[in-house]
This record gives sequence, C-alpha cells and structure tokens, in this order.
Amino acid sequence: MIKRFLSLEWKQFSRASYFQKGIAIKILLFFATIYFGGAAIFLGIGVFFILKEVLPDVDPIITINNFLIYWFLFDLVIRFFMQQLPVMNIKPLMTIPIKRKTVIHYLLGKTAISFFNFLPLFIFLPFSIVLLAHGYPVVNVLCWFVSVMILTFCVNFTNFLINKNNTFFYVIVGVLAVFIGLEVYQIFKISEPIGVAFNALYNQPYFVVIPIALLIALYRINFNDIRNGFYLDGTISKKVEKVDTADLSWLDRFGSVAVFLKNDLRLIWRNARPKQVLMMSFLFLFYGLVFYTQPTYQKMPAFLAFASMFVTGGFLMTFGQLVPSWDSEYYKLLMSQNIPYRKYLESKWYLMVVAVGISFILSTPYLYFGWKIFGMIAAGALFNIGLNSFITLFGGALNRVPIELNVKAKAFSNTNGFNPTQMLIALPKLGLPMLLFYIPYKLVNFEVGLIVLALSGVLGIVFKNFFLSQIENLYQKGKYKTVVAFAEKK
Amino acid sequence: MIITSNLSKKYNDNLVLSIESLEIPKGQSFGLVGNNGAGKTTYFSLLLDLIQPTTGFIKNNEVLVNESEDWKPFTSSFIDESFLIGYLTAEEYFYFIGELRNQNKADVDALVAQFEDFFHGEILNQKKYLRDLSKGNQKKAGIVGALIGNPEVIVLDEPFANLDPTTQIRLKQIIKDLAEKKGVTVLISSHDLMHVTDVCERIVVLEKGEVIKDLATSAATLKELEAHFAG
Repeated sequence: MIKRFLSLEWKQFSRASYFQKGIAIKILLFFATIYFGGAAIFLGIGVFFILKEVLPDVDPIITINNFLIYWFLFDLVIRFFMQQLPVMNIKPLMTIPIKRKTVIHYLLGKTAISFFNFLPLFIFLPFSIVLLAHGYPVVNVLCWFVSVMILTFCVNFTNFLINKNNTFFYVIVGVLAVFIGLEVYQIFKISEPIGVAFNALYNQPYFVVIPIALLIALYRINFNDIRNGFYLDGTISKKVEKVDTADLSWLDRFGSVAVFLKNDLRLIWRNARPKQVLMMSFLFLFYGLVFYTQPTYQKMPAFLAFASMFVTGGFLMTFGQLVPSWDSEYYKLLMSQNIPYRKYLESKWYLMVVAVGISFILSTPYLYFGWKIFGMIAAGALFNIGLNSFITLFGGALNRVPIELNVKAKAFSNTNGFNPTQMLIALPKLGLPMLLFYIPYKLVNFEVGLIVLALSGVLGIVFKNFFLSQIENLYQKGKYKTVVAFAEKK
Repeated sequence: MIITSNLSKKYNDNLVLSIESLEIPKGQSFGLVGNNGAGKTTYFSLLLDLIQPTTGFIKNNEVLVNESEDWKPFTSSFIDESFLIGYLTAEEYFYFIGELRNQNKADVDALVAQFEDFFHGEILNQKKYLRDLSKGNQKKAGIVGALIGNPEVIVLDEPFANLDPTTQIRLKQIIKDLAEKKGVTVLISSHDLMHVTDVCERIVVLEKGEVIKDLATSAATLKELEAHFAG
C-alpha cells in the first residue's frame, strides 16, 4: 500500500506545473544544499574546539546543552516558514478500502524524511564523533545524540501540529512568547533549567526515554488530530460560519480601487489563511525589540536599518509575496471580468501602503529607544512603501502556487505557498535597505544614511506608474500560465 | 458579433479544437453541443482569453480577444465555480460584479429582484458565504452574476447541469428573453439536447474539435441531434 502512495506522490510532484521551474533555480538550490550541508559538517567538527578555545573552563558539552534550546527554537521557527508539509488528496481515498490508519501513518511518516530532520545529523554526528575521539563516555554521548535526534523529530511533529491546528498554534506561540518575554526582560531565566535538563540528558543516559515518550505523545496527538479531520463533512458542518456584514462603504472614498480594497478586507477577515498571515505580520512589529535591546547591534547600524524595515514591513512582505495567489480560487473570474490589471495591482499596492501606515502608527512606542531608532523606522517605512512594495509585487507575479483560502482541507493541503523564486526575490528586499543606509552612513554620517533610505522610498512613489507598468507587463506575459497553474487542484 | 477564424488549439501535438470559420450574429442564442472532449469548454476559454490560441483568432465585436482587453466591458460569463468568490455572500458578490461593471447598488438590486423566482428563496438573505451553498445554488448565483451590467455577450458553460427541474425551466425562459427582447448574444453549451433545442435558435455540434453540424433550430432539430448522437 505504502508503495502505491509513494508512486501517487511522485506523480503528483513531477506532474505539477510549478515543478517546471527554471533550471537556474534548480542549480542554485543544488549548490545551496551542498554549501549548507558542508558548512554544517564543519560547524559540527569545529564547535568543540571553538568552545574549548573561548570558554576553556567549561566543558563544551555543557555549553552546548545550555544553548541547545535556542537551536530547537530556531529550528521550529525556520520549519514553520519553510518546511513543505505533506500534501495528500484524501477525498478519493475515503471511499476505497484503505484503512484510515494507514493513510495517516504514511502522511506523518512522510514528514520524517524532510531535509530539516537531516540537518542536525550533519552537525551533531560530527560533534558526537569529536566527543568520542576525546574520550567522552560512549554510552552518554550515544544516548545524548539519540536524544537530540529524537527531539528534532519532536520539533518536526510540533511544527506539523501548529501548521494544521490553529488551537495548538496559538497555545504554543503564546507559551513561547511568555518564555521569551521572561527571558529577555530577565524576570526568570527559563533557559537555565532547560540547560540543566539537557545536561541531565547527557549525564543520565537512561533519561533518553523522556524524549522518546515525548515523541510518542506528539505522534499520537498528531495522529488523533488528523483522524478527527478525516471526515469531509465533519469539518464542513462545523464550518458554516456566521456571516459578518460589516459595512465597508467608507472605503468608497478610495475611488476606483475601492471595490478591490473592500474585497481584500473581506478576504483577510473571512479566511483562515490570510488571517494567520495578518497575525504573523503583527508579530513583526516586535522584531525591533530583538535588535534595539541588544547592545551588540548598536554598533551595527546596518542591522538596525534591516530591523527597522521589518517593523513596518511585516504585512507587506507576508501578504504581498502571495499577491496573485490570494485570488487563485477565482482567478478566471478576475481574468474575464471587466478588470484592468492596473487597477487590481494598484489596489494591492494601496492595501500594503495602508498596512505600512498602520504598522508605523503602532510602532510609535519605539520612541522609547530614542529619535534615532524612530527615524530609522520612519525611513524604513518609506522604503517599504516606495520600493519594497513594488519588489514584493514583482516577486508575487512570478509566484504561481495556488492557495486554498479555507482551512477545512488544511490538514491535507500545502499550507506553504513558498518557493525558491521567492527566496531569490527576498534578497533585494532584505539587502537593499541595508545597503541604501550603510553606504551613505559610512561615507558621510548617520543622518545622511537615513535620508538616502527615506528618499529611495520617495523616489519609488514618484515612479509608481513606471513600476506598476513593469509589473503589469509581467502579469500580461504570464497570464495563461498563471490561469493554468491556479486551476490545478491541490 | 463574434467572428471565429482559422482557430485552432493544440496541446503538444494533440489538436483539441479546429474551427475554420464560425460567425455568430448579434442577438443570437447560440448552443454548442458535443460529447466530452469535443472542445466546447476550450472554445469558451479561447473566447474569454483564458487560453492562448495556437492559430487563428476570435473577434468579439471587432475586438481581437487575445490582443486587447476591450471585450471585457460588454462580455460576461459563468464557466465554473472558479468564477465565484467563495468568501462573499451572494449579495456582496453581485455588488462586486456590479461595481466592476459600473452599476450602482440600486441598479444591481433592481436587476437581482427580477430573479427572485429563479432563486427560489435560496440565494438572497441567506447569511451564508457562497462557498457554503450547494453546487446548484452556487450555479444560480453565478448565472445571475453573469447577467449584471447589461452585457452584450453572455457565455454560460453547461448552465443546466446541477440545477433542479424547476430552475431549469426558469433558466430557459431567462435565456430566451435575453436574446429575443434585449438583443443579447447568448452562448451556451449543454449535454442536454432537449434544453438546447428549446432555448437556442442555432445549434452547432462539435466533434473532436471540429464543427460537424450547424443547424438553425426547427421542429426536426431534436430528432436530428438525437439520431446523430445515438451514432
């Protein structure tokens, strides 16, 4: 049975239209894999000696254990954004004699072969070998290594859970936010007991049963969660939501783009997926806290510029990068209705501008960190409005991954409309504000850096029509391909 | 109104549509019939510029559809559910289309009010999003959506499928009225020979992408079609 599933998977994968990406991107991805794999191995070997060098009094394994929690947190965050979760169309499988259990086990098992689960192997295996070479006790090292690998799988299934189930998402994000808050404001160093716990894992090899128990528990939770969602009508009947009929006619003052703005607001408000994005972008507001509170970054203003751009750019980037995809479910309607592309794009642009504006207003508490920081946020906001918005829309035009707005099929659908094209497009988005600020800052001074960054945004606004025309052309060119790709069933 | 010339569509080397010449005058109710794969939806998709012709062109009211967007203001269509916006209520959807076609709320209300019968109390004031309606009710909303804004050309793919008998009969009346009283060019496709012969003045039979019959509907048409498809 599993063999059949695998062949179905392969067909779905290789026959999907977005599989036919440019060869250049494939090569780039290949090199990226080699690069990161190699870097990880070197890190794994080197970290022991580096720690020995930097902290000669402390056993490297203890230092590693103290910081292990950050690794797992980082792992979870990266996975949440990047890991492609398994996709399976269950409807045709429901009426044929396959045990539901088999399908679910298969689905969960498939997540285990993700690249993300092998990455720690590249780091911790060399590290463990180095430990053994230095005469550390074999049983302890082995059990510790196994624990770390099992915890990696725990992260894997936690990620699965928070992706598929909103309740778990909010609970886990909430718990993490509290812990991080306690840690950052030094109310209670939660990382210390966790460090102790990881050290205990190393010192008492039989503690390896704890991660194993955790893994089994997480697997069961996932299993039950999917099993509950396995009925098509089970989720549908629950879902007939109360209709909210907020009056949006106040938006009419935006003229000809108002009709799209109204629609976009409803899109965001009434669909789980964009709602999630909205919430994520809210979290971006706090991004500055990470950078502004650390004295290390005060001497690295380029990073501050980067962070300041993020503070107001959360919605712009998370929502904007999927711009035509949000409308993928009814793209044919948009293509045959009386809609000029220009108006459509313009309305999305306005939406992003409004979002940046709101984020900017919400970011006023950052005044606490002084006018310099706030000036950076303001310059970053202008950059977002004037340049980042267009780069993001441009990237979106290259993105042809359809999105299912509705949650109900979520447990079996691809929740990440992420692809390598977007990664490439992300580079200028992140790098440009740093460069625009840093070069004049180095050459002249801080204020000039701010002015240049802000002016770049103003220039973008001045050339708005030019940029929109370019993006419009791109849309025109890709029209037929996009229609086909969006019509593809997920 | 609609001129098709040397039109063909190939997927790889597979010729799915090849129409040398087809002219549909203004105000005609035009029916397209054919078995699955005959090219009906392909033709409509080409007419709406959703796919690119391999050769030839379609001119809609003197506008080359694959080169200019100027056909959009006077053409409307309902092909499948991807023409609906699932997270809107039926009313919001109608107003949305109305705004795209320069109709104000009152215009849309007035138009929609004419179809109360057709809706059978299952579309308006339902406090439900379109995605939560049944297939048949979604179709009703989509068809009426396509009538908003005084279009001169209306394209409906399989409008009778999924509808209950009462609604089918009402829909037939609506389509007839559009062509006869308002001079709208209506293009429909159907698998139901009886319905098309009832509604359309002219019926074209497609087979493997080619026009093999072009009939002006008469009392004998249904028999002729049945004989043809019985093979």
